[in-house]
Amino acid sequence: MNGKDMYDGVTDIRDDLIDGAKSSPKRQKRHIKARWFGAVAAVLVLAILGGIFLRPDGGLTVRPDGGLTAYALAEAQYPQMAPYPGEPHTEKEFEDWWESVKAQRRDLGDISSLQAFFRNSSGVFLADTGGQNRVYSPLNVYMALSMLAQLTDGESRGQILTLLGSDSLDTLRRQASDVWNANYRDDGALTSILASSLWLNKGISFNQETLDTLARDFYASSYQGEMGTDAYDKALQEWLNQQTGGLLADQAGNVTMDPETVLALATTVYYQAKWGHEFSEDSTGPRTFHSPTGDIETDFMHQREDQTYYWGEHFAAISQGFEEGGEMWFILPDEGITPEKLLADEEAMEFLFYRKEWENSKFLFVNKSIPKFDVSSQFDLGDGLRKLGVTDVFDPSRADFTPMTTDADVPIAVSGANHAVRVVIDEEGCTAAAFTVMLAAGAAMPPDEEVDFVLDRPFLFCITGDSGLPLFVGIVNIPAGD
Amino acid sequence: MAAYALRLLGLREDAEECVNDTWYAVWNKIPPDRPASLGAFLGRITRNLSISRWRRNHAQKRYDGIEILLSELEDCVPSPSTVEASVERQVLAAAISDWLDTLEDTDRWLFIRRYWYADPVKELAAELKEQPNNCSQRLLRSAKGCAFFWNRKEWNYEREGYV
Repeated sequence: MNGKDMYDGVTDIRDDLIDGAKSSPKRQKRHIKARWFGAVAAVLVLAILGGIFLRPDGGLTVRPDGGLTAYALAEAQYPQMAPYPGEPHTEKEFEDWWESVKAQRRDLGDISSLQAFFRNSSGVFLADTGGQNRVYSPLNVYMALSMLAQLTDGESRGQILTLLGSDSLDTLRRQASDVWNANYRDDGALTSILASSLWLNKGISFNQETLDTLARDFYASSYQGEMGTDAYDKALQEWLNQQTGGLLADQAGNVTMDPETVLALATTVYYQAKWGHEFSEDSTGPRTFHSPTGDIETDFMHQREDQTYYWGEHFAAISQGFEEGGEMWFILPDEGITPEKLLADEEAMEFLFYRKEWENSKFLFVNKSIPKFDVSSQFDLGDGLRKLGVTDVFDPSRADFTPMTTDADVPIAVSGANHAVRVVIDEEGCTAAAFTVMLAAGAAMPPDEEVDFVLDRPFLFCITGDSGLPLFVGIVNIPAGD
Repeated sequence: MAAYALRLLGLREDAEECVNDTWYAVWNKIPPDRPASLGAFLGRITRNLSISRWRRNHAQKRYDGIEILLSELEDCVPSPSTVEASVERQVLAAAISDWLDTLEDTDRWLFIRRYWYADPVKELAAELKEQPNNCSQRLLRSAKGCAFFWNRKEWNYEREGYV
């Protein structure tokens, strides 16, 4: 027997195998898997909220003349996706759904400027965690800054365009719209929504054309109401809770707008997905995690899978795919190297944000031990943005918000830029499974057939959506939460 | 079908002739009843004509596509001592089909796309969002698994009366 015989044998394999391979494994999977949503709690639930508040520098008289709590000036229309086909389903139901998924795909073209922003901003916003957890959403901040660029002019806008690596407002608008669409999924099986809204002071005259642009290209709704009232605050908080599935209820409850606030710009990311290959409930068990503040016992999920294992001079990494696209990357620094230090490492950043082909990779069996975690962080983006060169929007004497308002004599500036994120990964059950701990040395080649990957000390993670862009980047110092 | 023949043979002129031959063969071969899968039916004819063309001409011409496939498929072949050299084609096909049934979805898809549809590894890697090198390793692992499958005791073809 030889290769030619095998060729003949393969030629005559069963028809159903040949026909079954016409569509990719993802599509096949969808044909045979029952719809899971609504049945059990999601394995992974993530949410973020970010808010940018604009206030005048004084001299503004707000007209508190009552009226509606909040009414919409411009409302975003989200694309309507066909529902994920359950079982049984007709061919048409499947095709309708598949077409609506494909309709969201965008060719993002050259994304080097985006990658540079993700990399530079992550380095700034994830630095100095003080041993706590820190999570940042590059895409969320990208969308917020893109919207801010629409609302500004002159050097205020120029600084934002420079940071985002865009040569013009039109280019940025097109790119932001494509990024939004490429990351949008709301079909009942996967939820991934970059939501934005503007909360306007009813005492200020706003440029309707700008608001319409934000609704059309950024899918951002604009509301107007009376700042400083409980009702208007509640409307914003409810919007935030609605967009983030209530995961950030505590943080949202702290978001209020005082009477001097001219505009609150709120952006959220809500992402909910299920592991493509679930962790076995029976394999979960307690194990020691070496946090910067001391050893803690926490539950670890275990799984053995043949997959690609990556390494660099100072780290090892794997990814865990989600059922409906996207994946979560786990990056384990070598012993003696903190995640913060890794953020300053050229090779690690190259891997995290520019990875396409990675020479140091091998397909083998990986014994994974990953702590269940529920981490959240809330911080102000202001200092970081200033470090990244965006300064004028914070300075009332320099900020230029003329495209936003017709009240040209009002000196407006950004007064706050809150960023709150929570990431939860979970699974059911808890029974211990023993694995040999072999800490993967960064520069070393893994063994031929098998490697252990144990996240038992502070590590980095990155969650990418179907578009491959980073929705979340974070450092886990304490898996059990802050 | 033209694209398929081109992937197998790699030479446009030969691929076009192969397609013409396929239609001629279809005219002569198509059964009175409609084939269960027209795609598989046509593909098989193209594959058979392509390998015939390779057998006939490979001393003079280089058919990149099929030659690379044959080379890779050598990895699926068990050591000569364990399996009869002359396993019948249909027996072999049935065994490969059974073995494919045991694979995980992705591995099965990858194997069939590579060795039946002759898709380039690069394209398959892009579809799976994997690196080409890792896709090749995955294919090699499957091929070795196929060879191992033949060595399993329960696959005693002589006993089963297959050979």
